[in-house]
Amino acid sequence: MTRGMKKYLFLVMKILVTLLVISPFYIAIIYSVKSKPEMVSNRLAFPAKFHWDNFTRAIETSNFGLAMKNSLVTTVWAVLIITLICTMAAYIIARKNNRFYNTIYYIFVGAMIIPFQSIMTPLYIDMSRWKLLNTLHGFVMAKIGFQIAFTVLLVSGFVKSIPRELEEAAAIDGAGLYSVFFRIVFPLMKPIILTSVVLNTLNVWNDFQMSLTLLQKKTVRNVPLTQYFFFGENSIELGLAFALFILSMIPILILYLTLQKYIIGGITSGAVKG
Amino acid sequence: MNQKTKKQIQEFTFILPAIIMFAVFVAYPFLQGFPISFTKWDGMSPNKVFVGLDNYLRIFQDVNVINATKNTLIFTALTMVFSNLLGLLFALMIARVSKLNNVLRTCIFMPYCLSLVLSSYIWRYVYSDVFYDIFGIPSPLGSTTWVMLGLAVISVWRDAGYCMVVYIAAIQGVSSDYYEAADLEGATALQKFRHITFPMIAPAVTANFTLLLAWGMKVFDYPMAATGGGPGRSSETVAMLIYNNLFTYFRAGYGQAIAVVFTIAIFVVSTVVSRTLRAREVEI
Repeated sequence: MTRGMKKYLFLVMKILVTLLVISPFYIAIIYSVKSKPEMVSNRLAFPAKFHWDNFTRAIETSNFGLAMKNSLVTTVWAVLIITLICTMAAYIIARKNNRFYNTIYYIFVGAMIIPFQSIMTPLYIDMSRWKLLNTLHGFVMAKIGFQIAFTVLLVSGFVKSIPRELEEAAAIDGAGLYSVFFRIVFPLMKPIILTSVVLNTLNVWNDFQMSLTLLQKKTVRNVPLTQYFFFGENSIELGLAFALFILSMIPILILYLTLQKYIIGGITSGAVKG
Repeated sequence: MNQKTKKQIQEFTFILPAIIMFAVFVAYPFLQGFPISFTKWDGMSPNKVFVGLDNYLRIFQDVNVINATKNTLIFTALTMVFSNLLGLLFALMIARVSKLNNVLRTCIFMPYCLSLVLSSYIWRYVYSDVFYDIFGIPSPLGSTTWVMLGLAVISVWRDAGYCMVVYIAAIQGVSSDYYEAADLEGATALQKFRHITFPMIAPAVTANFTLLLAWGMKVFDYPMAATGGGPGRSSETVAMLIYNNLFTYFRAGYGQAIAVVFTIAIFVVSTVVSRTLRAREVEI
């Protein structure tokens, strides 16, 4: 075999492997636009006619609008607050190397291991006592608490790589700690902030376990819960279920495709240092 | 108040919100878990009966715990090995920077963006409509023997892209001088991988294995959405068993005791695995 042919074969193989990996998306997409009779006659074939009706009917029958709203509201609030309080905490931890801040750092390292199950029962009881059970703000608060350790560790690793000179110069000019942080450090943290925004968005948006525990009323269900219960009720009307799946993927895939550079950068810096 | 105290207080306000949220929603419930684990309690009624170590002693004889542990470990072993293996193969395949490789990388990582619930549902149909209808392979999710493998495949599909991204970064970080020197010596591709690439990316291997181990041991969403723990209890994992003890069987005290042992087990296993892998990094 010649060198050129080998190269060509490798190229074809690469593309085939990738197509295989994303083939389940093909199934999800075609199922979402197939009519019921076509679903029976030839499931996997490319749809003869795009049956957009599935989307409107799925939205009507599943409270999908409400689920989308609940997911958006909780994700936006949780991610905004996580980003703000964790970047501040990470900054101080990275810059102050004393006993107190180091202890907190190690507590966060240890907390990364805690499985949700170990706090599930007490948290469920506390939340109901605090009147936070089955409320979106309660879910947001618990989610923030659970994401703090990971985010602080991720960001503080990055802060250590930012040179201190600018901050020191600003401090000499009389700038306070807050203005040094927000005017100088925060803008320099942009890459890691975007990484943390994407990873936390994926985490909150896709959360199932904590949602299942803390959001048990119909009115506060988010997207994963709506899918879970909708699927239980409608496993026969496949077209509708898959239309819902596609709708729920769209926001997250848009986010991924626009910010993928930061996801990849962040995963690698976090993973290898971590 | 002197200048120094004032500055220290100001510094402390930076970390205070994070500490409060962490303390209230993670640390406090975590500590509350210990006293609960020594009681017989349904999770709702005001009276908890103190039973000492009874719950803990029961755990080690409970067939459901043993079954769930076995399922969890099988899943963890499979996902840890195969997500990494595939991730590494994908990475070697497309590590070189090119337009096409970037597109392929974007595609292979895409499953990772989906929720575990969604991945589970899509795969239920991949198994029934592709595996069975086209190739005649019955869905593993319906078999007590193969169900954990079936769930592991879903997880590998979703997480291999994640591992790949970490490996690509590590591979790209290896200086090309090594490969040039090896080329001069007439090394084969396999030798180059064994003696240059693999040792150089060892920290990434450690990171990925440790992460996949933690994810695997905590697995909940896949069995919950794809099989509901079935058929029978053949895919009930430890995380699910704890959930069921609170919300299905109303045995919060016992469930909490399992959760405590579970946490310790995760802590011990991940420490041992990451220490062992780190030590090996030095050897190779």
